[in-house]
Amino acid sequence: MEDSSSAAYIRLVHRLIEECILFNMNKEECMEALSKHANIKPVITSTVWKELEKENKEFFEAYSRSRAEKASVSERETRQRIENMVLDSSNERV
Amino acid sequence: MLAVSPLRSTRDEEQGEMESFSIGTDDFADLSEGNLLESINFDDLFMGINDDEDVLPDLEMDPEMLAEFSLSEESEIVSSVSVVNNKSDDRNENNIVTTEKQDEVIAANFCSDSGSNSGSSRGEEIASKSEESIHSVVVNPSPKESEKGRKSSTHSRNNPQGKRKVKKVDWTPELHRRFVQAVEQLGVDKAVPSRILEIMGIDCLTRHNIASHLQKYRSHRKHLLAREAEAARLSQRKQFMGAASVGRGGGGSKRDVNPWLAPTMGFPHMTPMHHFRPFHVWGHHTMDQSFMHMWPKHLPYSPSPPAWPPRTAPSPPPPDPLYWHQHQRAPNAPTPGTPCFPPPLTSTRFGSQTVPGIPPHHTMFQIVDPGIGIPATQPPPRPLLDFHPSKESIDAAISDVLSKPWLPLPLGLKGPALDGVMGELQRQGIPKIPPSCA
Repeated sequence: MEDSSSAAYIRLVHRLIEECILFNMNKEECMEALSKHANIKPVITSTVWKELEKENKEFFEAYSRSRAEKASVSERETRQRIENMVLDSSNERV
Repeated sequence: MLAVSPLRSTRDEEQGEMESFSIGTDDFADLSEGNLLESINFDDLFMGINDDEDVLPDLEMDPEMLAEFSLSEESEIVSSVSVVNNKSDDRNENNIVTTEKQDEVIAANFCSDSGSNSGSSRGEEIASKSEESIHSVVVNPSPKESEKGRKSSTHSRNNPQGKRKVKKVDWTPELHRRFVQAVEQLGVDKAVPSRILEIMGIDCLTRHNIASHLQKYRSHRKHLLAREAEAARLSQRKQFMGAASVGRGGGGSKRDVNPWLAPTMGFPHMTPMHHFRPFHVWGHHTMDQSFMHMWPKHLPYSPSPPAWPPRTAPSPPPPDPLYWHQHQRAPNAPTPGTPCFPPPLTSTRFGSQTVPGIPPHHTMFQIVDPGIGIPATQPPPRPLLDFHPSKESIDAAISDVLSKPWLPLPLGLKGPALDGVMGELQRQGIPKIPPSCA
């Protein structure tokens, strides 16, 4: 009984982690989200995440690469936006 | 099942077969060279086919005879063979593939007068291939296909000795396809050779060529339905006779129909697409877009592979991967392959759970729990453009998961090793049963 409910729980956490991945979260963000919204202990999330990573190495590698890429793009965009804002404000002054 | 009805009058099939058999033998007896097909005066075989006459002889060739025609006819044989080989869905893909293959092979021969010469070299080149496919084909001839193919092929071979004072036309699959297109455009009954010629717009063809080809085409169309029943019966018989002939017939007519059907075959299988709405979240970035582009293209083809293995025995596996490989050329399918095929078809959820070896971007598109079926509801729409999703949407998604545990995994990642998780948690001092506090 315990085993099956444990297994079910792990499956649940697994599913939730996948959803978080769809939101492009990393492990820490996932732990926080699951803890906040689903009352799942971060350590559990973390453990399940690590195990998933072991089982799906390539996926997670690609995932982190894609996240890094998106982060850099978004960072670039943000920087650009800030620069534009600075330019605009300086233009206004003149 | 093609039995050449060699003589000047129409016979019923049985008779035709037998006679053709003997006649074929006679013909062959005279042939000493390798270019059997060239030597055979097909005009004799198709005496009935003149512009003036409306009656076409029973165009059925004995498979054994055709087996020996491993020359210029081969290209058509191959296509028709592959065509015939197919029973249902396969047929279409096969047609496309073989047609492609043939187009490549035949390209040079398009509208060439030296059809026989080039044909024979062609034939020799693909001799082995066609023989292989020919052998496999015998099983399920689509008589209409065979006949049409044969028609076109024999038509091209007509007049080796100037029986008709017309330039020999090589009715390649491509050419025939255009012909059929033109005919259908005009309406089969209304199709006039001169108009067809105009529509096709090919210089090498004369109205004469078109007219005779049209006649054959029409005649065979009439026979199509009637022959279908025969096909099953005869195919069994042909099995013993060995390869070839069926292919020839199959190549001509069905070829043009099936390629058009083929692309649509995948569509019914596309319906499960809504399964994958969660993937829209990836839609924004280039990498993801490429996934999305690739992925729908997989679907049409992936259902088909499972259908292929259960082919009839005579159909040898070897041609199939080749066809599939060629077929896959168009969609630029990525690397992974189905369990059934060596060539690159993704192993999708249809057959399997997540496959560890598959590159990550493919696992993203797999649903692990086919048993669960199609979820009644979709996950809440994700913020596609938002790098930092809102709390509300996260909350919604999570509560959705919590409330509907039967939903399949959106990513289909391979589940964690339970032992590993349990062990780790115990080390952390946590019993497994859902803890009450976060």
